[in-house]
Amino acid sequence: MATTHAQVPGEPTPTSMAFLETATAAVQNFSPIKSIHQHLCAFHFYSNDMTRQVEAHHFCAHQNEEMRQCLIYDSEAADAKLIGLEYLISEALFLKLPDSEKPLWHSHEYEVKSGVLFMPRVPGPIERQDLDKLCKTYGKTIHFWQVDRGDDLPLGIPQIMLALTRDGQLRPELARDVERRYGVSFEEEREKRAYMAGPNLGIHPLANGEGKGFKTELKEAGCMPVDSVPRVFV
Amino acid sequence: MQHAVPRGRLPKHPRTFPSTYLVLLPLNSSYLAVITRDTRRLDCIFEIRSKTQRRFEMASSDKTPTPNPASRPGDQPTPPGKPMTMGQHILDKGAEMMQSLKPVNQMSQHVCTFALYSHDMTRQIETHHYVTRLNQDFLQCAVYDSDDSHGRLIGVEYIVSDKIFESLPPDEQKLWHSHAYEIKAGLWVNPRIPEMIGQPELQNLAKTYGKFWCTWQVDRGDRLPLGAPALMMSPQPVNLGMVKPELLETRDAKYNISTDALKTSRVEIAEPEWINPQADYWKLHGKGFAVDVKQTEMKKITPFP
Repeated sequence: MATTHAQVPGEPTPTSMAFLETATAAVQNFSPIKSIHQHLCAFHFYSNDMTRQVEAHHFCAHQNEEMRQCLIYDSEAADAKLIGLEYLISEALFLKLPDSEKPLWHSHEYEVKSGVLFMPRVPGPIERQDLDKLCKTYGKTIHFWQVDRGDDLPLGIPQIMLALTRDGQLRPELARDVERRYGVSFEEEREKRAYMAGPNLGIHPLANGEGKGFKTELKEAGCMPVDSVPRVFV
Repeated sequence: MQHAVPRGRLPKHPRTFPSTYLVLLPLNSSYLAVITRDTRRLDCIFEIRSKTQRRFEMASSDKTPTPNPASRPGDQPTPPGKPMTMGQHILDKGAEMMQSLKPVNQMSQHVCTFALYSHDMTRQIETHHYVTRLNQDFLQCAVYDSDDSHGRLIGVEYIVSDKIFESLPPDEQKLWHSHAYEIKAGLWVNPRIPEMIGQPELQNLAKTYGKFWCTWQVDRGDRLPLGAPALMMSPQPVNLGMVKPELLETRDAKYNISTDALKTSRVEIAEPEWINPQADYWKLHGKGFAVDVKQTEMKKITPFP
């Protein structure tokens, strides 16, 4: 695989522990997880560095017709690392966001129309019905684990990610690797998806970082609201 | 729970797991008995739901969300947006049948506990962690604000053993929190799991550290996930780290449990010999952390966007 898959440090899970966990999963309430119904494969890049790109496996659930929430893993294997999450919203909801928030969200039009965003193992005609809707949505992606630089643990602070917006951005070796593993052709898909349209009002100028890069920074902060009475730390 | 268990009679050749003192015995396709190996005493019965039954429940639970019966401070309406159309339901079901959702199927535990915002510890939330164990020293959790089908995905927490934690640089360690207190105090629970079944896992988890980023601040009324991710801290036995009683009462009522009773039953759980002082940073330094988003030059391959 093109992305490095460093092994997470630690001893293998003993049988006893694994077995107990299987038993608990059978009786507890997993409703939010049972709502996850879809696997999407796409690419993200770091909002300050387009050259650092990550293959992202999204496992998505609907909150309603206009909003989805996805868990992002670095692969679709059982030992995949949970590297981030993404929220997807319709154009209508995006327009309701404060202007200061809009730049943190990216458009999906290019990813869908170019074929690089796809649903593994779902036949094209079915896949395209949902992609037609996704084409008009905006997403906010946050990664916590920088697997592309070989981290075997989730170090550092969260990174807000962006999505591809034009030809020439996606690194060819990443694209070929995914095409080969899944037996898909982005070029062929692009032709079949030519009829799809992006947001009705066009891609909002404030989306996609307003066309600029950005990054997250950690700072020390008070651990109490400014107007509260200071307490003694015992 | 009503069941047909032949009392006082144990079939031969139960499945055994040598390193535990419990035996799980399938009674039929729907029930599993848990028996203490030494005394051969029946502890409890689990009802197992087949995949078909679960799918049926998924179809019926996708109704217009009802208000959460356990109203809690900061309870907000579900995100804005139209209800799911039948067409979308059909698409989803169709896709689901063809895809394997392996990473998600690895989630093996539901944990209900509490967390506090690092930059404002007066803001406390009830959290629902869905936990996957990758190995004996590492777990990853998808965190939701409730355990119903419309639970909002509010963040991710990673949990590491003390061994891994000690290998981290100090600047990394200050972002993490310890779990010993919240487990011993009965704040951390596995809903619907008898304490006895859960205890071995709790022994292990009491020595771990966690790093929890919250991406949707539902408690302040955000109807959509706004802003930068927030660092979260764990409850601690020191004024600012104490969970508000009303939050506890609401949680306990919902699951019909008593945090106090759990605290008593967990007296046996060993305290870690030492908790690294870099964790729970605010306790020694009186400060938390926050994340800013700042514009910067983007390294590019093509013009953007």
